[in-house]
Amino acid sequence: MTLLQLDDVVVRYGQAVAVDGVSLTVGARERVALIGPNGAGKTSVLNAACGVVRPASGRVRVDGKDVTGGTPAAVVRRGISQVPEGRHVFATLPVEANLLLGAYGRVFSLEIVSSTLRYIRAKRDVRERLDGVYALLPKLYELRDRPAGRTSGGEQQMVAIGRALMAEPRLLAIDELSLGLAPLLVQQLAEFLLTLNDEHGVAILLVDQSASLAFSLCERAYVLETGRVAIEGPSQDLAGRSEVRSAYLGGPAEGPA
Amino acid sequence: MTTFFQLVVVGISTGSVFAIVGMSLVLVYRATGIVNFAQGVFAVLGGLLTYSIGKHMSLPLAAVLATIVTAFLATVVAVVAVGIRGRTTHLASLIITVGIAIFAEAVLLAAFGEVPRSYSAVSDRAWDIGGVLVQPQYAVLTVVALAAAVGLTLFLRHTIVGQALVASADSPRAAELIGLNLRSVAVIAFAVAGALTAIGGVLLAPTVPVAYSSGLSITINGFAAAVVGGLASIRLALLGGYALGVVEQLVIGYIDPQYNLIIALVVMLVLIGWRSRGELAV
Repeated sequence: MTLLQLDDVVVRYGQAVAVDGVSLTVGARERVALIGPNGAGKTSVLNAACGVVRPASGRVRVDGKDVTGGTPAAVVRRGISQVPEGRHVFATLPVEANLLLGAYGRVFSLEIVSSTLRYIRAKRDVRERLDGVYALLPKLYELRDRPAGRTSGGEQQMVAIGRALMAEPRLLAIDELSLGLAPLLVQQLAEFLLTLNDEHGVAILLVDQSASLAFSLCERAYVLETGRVAIEGPSQDLAGRSEVRSAYLGGPAEGPA
Repeated sequence: MTTFFQLVVVGISTGSVFAIVGMSLVLVYRATGIVNFAQGVFAVLGGLLTYSIGKHMSLPLAAVLATIVTAFLATVVAVVAVGIRGRTTHLASLIITVGIAIFAEAVLLAAFGEVPRSYSAVSDRAWDIGGVLVQPQYAVLTVVALAAAVGLTLFLRHTIVGQALVASADSPRAAELIGLNLRSVAVIAFAVAGALTAIGGVLLAPTVPVAYSSGLSITINGFAAAVVGGLASIRLALLGGYALGVVEQLVIGYIDPQYNLIIALVVMLVLIGWRSRGELAV
């Protein structure tokens, strides 16, 4: 079953075309990578999928249902959460408040009655979910009272991931997992994502500039260039192709003999 | 010396209103990034509505109704200032609030007339403390400002709604991604701030009559109080309000009553100039 499906999505910012007809799919429990150079439109694709930008044309479907132009809250409710590039934690709030807002954020609306009801319903199992996230990322439990802005880069990435997990997503869309983090830390986070995918069935859509990370973590990959999908296929195939190796893996243009 | 203490007492009481308006400005700014130049209008509305409604029923009930009506009107201002699609830039929003303030003044003049209004205070009997007259209304204002500061701080730190307001200020992008509706956040912030400022106006009117045109000077004084904490700190806005009120009264008492608004403007400009060296670099 296709969880997320983008059909011929176009994103424009004024005159500039950021995404020029991208189609991609992520199946339930699947791990998919989206790689490409700076400015290829990777983040715009994610934002279109998450309802942050409205596509100029094309369709976004979740579980086959058209959600094009829906609000971010609606997309989160349908089970897709994004971990934004640069982590973007709520710096002045404690780590635990960051996590709780991950569960409650989508509850807020101006309809006081319905949002209160949703809040009460969400509250019932939110403690359990919080314990679940602490079990997955024990470091966050140690840091729970510290303002998120006063934690390290890696810890902030954990906060951002934990916050997204609090919404109980079926698909975690991660924008630049490795950006600015030490290789060892990136490896730990990658292993964590594998466990999450394997044991909890959360699908992963990873956007990263590091193709080696993307290929090792994900089963399938899309290579984005100037707003279009240049190549797509299983990671192993892509990793073996000379044009991908030279452009993204820093390897020789010729494959090994 | 009695004169001095008398001026300080009056200063703390008028300063409480500046503090209340200043904290309201901080709340709105922290949650939405908007400086609401129409904030003082809510104080005027609180006072004038209490006066008008109070002719038909008891004053406390009128005050409560006035506060609720003002909070509702504040949500309308929020929607206009933030824009239906929520795409309005902060600078554009600020200019919209300036427009709303000017527009509101005209509407207030048409609705309530030009006569400054006042009504009876909580008690007419002033306490005589060593020659210094302390109106009970002063005490009420001071306590309300303090309580508002404590209440707002607890609200922002410990309730999920308050944390949502802080979160949208910390990172609008992440707030949007967890599904927070930024327009709802703005409306909540404006409503809470509007109610608080209205309470300030309700309590101010018995000591200083409120007219349709009082909004601007209330906004400027509140803004000067808020700038003490860089528009970010509830606590410093409270202290800034008290300090500004006292300084203004001392200037009025010892130098010239005409200077009172100039004090606020000078304080504001000096603080902005001084702070901006560091703040702009961030």
